[in-house]
Amino acid sequence: MTKPSPFSVRGRRALMVMRDEREISIVRRQLNRLGMTISEHDPADAPPGETFDVIVLDADTIPIKSDLATAWKAGAPIIALIGTETPSRLKWLLDLQPASFLVKPLRSAGLYTALVVAFDCAQRRMDEAAYVERLEDRIRSRRVVFAAVLQIMRVHGLTETNAFTLVRQTAMRHRTTIEQLSAEIIAAGGMPNRTTRTA
Amino acid sequence: MMAGEMRKSALMAIDEINGSDEFDFAFAPRLRDPGGIVAGYHTACADLIREEQVDHIVGCYTSASRKQVIPIVERTDRLLWHPARYEGFESSDNVIYVGAAPNQHVVPLVKHMLDHISDDVFCIGSNYIWTWEMNRVIREIVTSVGGHVLAERLLELGETAVDHIVKEVIDRKPPVVFNTLVGESSYAFMRALHAAATRAGLTIPMLSCSLCEPELKLIGSAASVGCVTSSAYFESIEGPENRAFVARWKARHGADSNLSVDGQSTYVCVMLLARAIRRAGSVEVAAVRRAAANHRYDSPQGPVWVDPDNNHCFLTPRLARSVPGSQFKIFWQAEAPERPDPYLSNLDLTTIGACVERSDDAMTKRSNHLRVVK
Repeated sequence: MTKPSPFSVRGRRALMVMRDEREISIVRRQLNRLGMTISEHDPADAPPGETFDVIVLDADTIPIKSDLATAWKAGAPIIALIGTETPSRLKWLLDLQPASFLVKPLRSAGLYTALVVAFDCAQRRMDEAAYVERLEDRIRSRRVVFAAVLQIMRVHGLTETNAFTLVRQTAMRHRTTIEQLSAEIIAAGGMPNRTTRTA
Repeated sequence: MMAGEMRKSALMAIDEINGSDEFDFAFAPRLRDPGGIVAGYHTACADLIREEQVDHIVGCYTSASRKQVIPIVERTDRLLWHPARYEGFESSDNVIYVGAAPNQHVVPLVKHMLDHISDDVFCIGSNYIWTWEMNRVIREIVTSVGGHVLAERLLELGETAVDHIVKEVIDRKPPVVFNTLVGESSYAFMRALHAAATRAGLTIPMLSCSLCEPELKLIGSAASVGCVTSSAYFESIEGPENRAFVARWKARHGADSNLSVDGQSTYVCVMLLARAIRRAGSVEVAAVRRAAANHRYDSPQGPVWVDPDNNHCFLTPRLARSVPGSQFKIFWQAEAPERPDPYLSNLDLTTIGACVERSDDAMTKRSNHLRVVK
């Protein structure tokens, strides 16, 4: 799968969660120039159901101690507009895990950079999440691998090191993972008799 | 109410400057009143700058209004002289911050609380940035000494339905209440808590960083008494500058009228501006800013000067207890004007709580040693 370039923003969907008319017009004009699809949303309302590629959120429009903050989390990457640099506000912002930010007052310059950084950051987060999931799968299947190695030790009278080497080499030969082969070893009660190679 | 107090003080300062031989120029005030509507501040300042060719603007009470004005004064290179204390974490080249920075208001009050009242505190405030940031500072300091924020209750700005919080305070009997409510919410809360505490036979100390004399009058004598308040100015400050200032104020506004920290601070803004213009020989912003830096003014609240590192002012923090007659009795003040620290970057949590005076330590040159004021 080709990953979308963070530099190509045309056609992506942006949600503006802002209140200041002057700043709304700056962001709207700039998003239009970039060819993005724009939706606007009142900061006082709960997040909408649809999904977006990026959310431009004016941090100062949402009270710190409100449930709305967490509702914005975990959705699309957030570009935070910052007017207040007090730690109480910044802590609230950190909880939202903004992908990028802009300091108010806004100018036409800067929004494109913020978008690119946000898209890149979102892509990296997805890649990292997928990588962590793979690692977690492997940790979860360690028990299976261990049980398979024990099985091979018993059936073939091998040391642990040699049994593991056999499992690893067999997995490589069959072009499968150690975890997958281990599951098959347990199911078959010994090294499975593979005639076809799995891709 | 604060806007009116501030305007009265600014006009009084302008009249004094215009009537004084010490200044060879006169101020021509141009007044605008956005009436607390946040978006109006940007429009009003744009109008003052573009239509009236104003170089220096005195005003703004809330941070929201100041944030509206900063972009335009920065873009057009004007100076905003800001009288109100605020929560800090800002330092614009185009603002002179004459109100107290957080190290000059909330920090001394929390230290006093830890040393003399309790490590555990019940916080109630208005749901906006002032309270959020004050509560954060309180929590940070209190937890650093093992204390607790027992509760953090918020009311919407202007909300006067306070019974549920008063009931909670009476039920839980916290050792101290930190009140960062503003305006009518605060008055309603103080009245209701006083009534409920009296009925229950309780005395619950209250702390504030914003209460001022005209508010004591609005709250009413019984409920307004006993609140420990941190401020750079109280009407009761001794000293010839303040006594003369209060006398001039009362001559102008009536013997029943009271000064407030924000009113006095607005007066100081105008005086600092006039003195900087005189020193610079120009109204040009860069020259005035340079001239204002480190130029000491013996104001009603004592010596004040601008720290050019961050455009905030050296001020003397004070703690007082509200007493009958809409006044405060000062019981502590810093030995000398304290350097402003808008980012609280010099707040050393390890020295708080250990209230031993370390005079042998040359490294700890803190200017806020306790001094009893009679």
